[in-house]
Amino acid sequence: MSAPMTEYTLLPKTFASPSEMARFVAGLSGDDAASAIDAAPIAGGRAAAEAALAGIDPRSYAASRNHLDGAVTRLSPYIRHGILSLDEVRNHALACVANAKEAEKFIQELAWRDYWQRIYLAYPDRIWADIENYKTGFDAKDYDDTLPDDIKAGETGVACIDQFIATLSDTGYLHNHARMYLAAYIVHWRRIKWQAGARWFLQQLLDGDPASNNLSWQWIASTFSNKPYIFNLENVAKYCGPDINTIPRHNLALDQSYERLTALLFPNMGGPHG
Amino acid sequence: MADLVWIHEDALRATHPVFDAATDGARSVFIWDSARFDAAFIGSKRQLFIYQTLIEMDVDIIAGQTAEILSSLVAAEDVNRLVVAETPNPAIHAALGTVRGNCPDLPIDNIAETPFVSLAVPPDLGRFFRYWNKAKKGALRHGGLPV
Repeated sequence: MSAPMTEYTLLPKTFASPSEMARFVAGLSGDDAASAIDAAPIAGGRAAAEAALAGIDPRSYAASRNHLDGAVTRLSPYIRHGILSLDEVRNHALACVANAKEAEKFIQELAWRDYWQRIYLAYPDRIWADIENYKTGFDAKDYDDTLPDDIKAGETGVACIDQFIATLSDTGYLHNHARMYLAAYIVHWRRIKWQAGARWFLQQLLDGDPASNNLSWQWIASTFSNKPYIFNLENVAKYCGPDINTIPRHNLALDQSYERLTALLFPNMGGPHG
Repeated sequence: MADLVWIHEDALRATHPVFDAATDGARSVFIWDSARFDAAFIGSKRQLFIYQTLIEMDVDIIAGQTAEILSSLVAAEDVNRLVVAETPNPAIHAALGTVRGNCPDLPIDNIAETPFVSLAVPPDLGRFFRYWNKAKKGALRHGGLPV
């Protein structure tokens, strides 16, 4: 063996308190905001993962998963980091139901993760590159490369979008429907390259995964789907409940019909889209 | 002579098959490489989440540059094989490439995760539902076994 010997430092595994560990890790990451990282509500570790897995209800999930207050599982950070395997989560879901059909929607969502990972393995270059052209009437060069400061700060002036951004930055987690709204707002309302948004999500999310995250952004953008994903305020109000501000005058950019939004957002396209 | 198990952020559980593949008593290490985290856009909240997970595992957490630390451990501890959880992550593969260059005689084994679904023919990945139409029957069975 010809490798040079390198001195190394073993990092500690016992701490006086969770906050002491948070401060220590913040120091390792060069982040002085130790109190901020203390606030993530989803704890790491296999014990926490098993507790979360024990609490899933595949039938309720199927009925309510699109709603922000629905029976979502928040298992994604554990699955992303291999703390739980897709196989064991699926097997547990099947054990929760009398008939596999009752767990199908939940297992189909697990399959999305498997699908993204298969693409990542087969075509790693597709993770950061446009897989297809945008189907928005615009070319990639028409989109900005960088994420504006008002988005990072959650000060866009669109009330529900700013609430989603605050949740993302405060907790490291965002309901999938809110992720779709936020990603669509960034790419289609602000005309920013999906890559800029994807990088920002990876930095913020506990479950940030290059394949699941980036390929989902490409699905929203239409570089890996047949049309761009857009939404309107009525849709936000339907799925987000009273905690999200959907007052029209606070969300003017979203308060339109799909036909009007399509005309406004994609003026180079010929017909109705949405 | 013993195996060295490299645990990385894509496979953080004691029941991963990588541990079964290693010889008894093999040392397991996680390299806390801030540059690797930065390159992968792993922010401070997620770093804490990873650390919270690592302290529950029988794994040494070592600060430093990934390939440099691994290469040095191989030399210093008379390692005869490096065992790693398989991942699509190009950064992990790049680090392993550097270790191979530094330690050309070292066998490196990538150990696959337990599959979600086993498919006899590689599926069309062009769109999700082309994949799902092939995977669905197996995915709805315990162990994802072929129908």
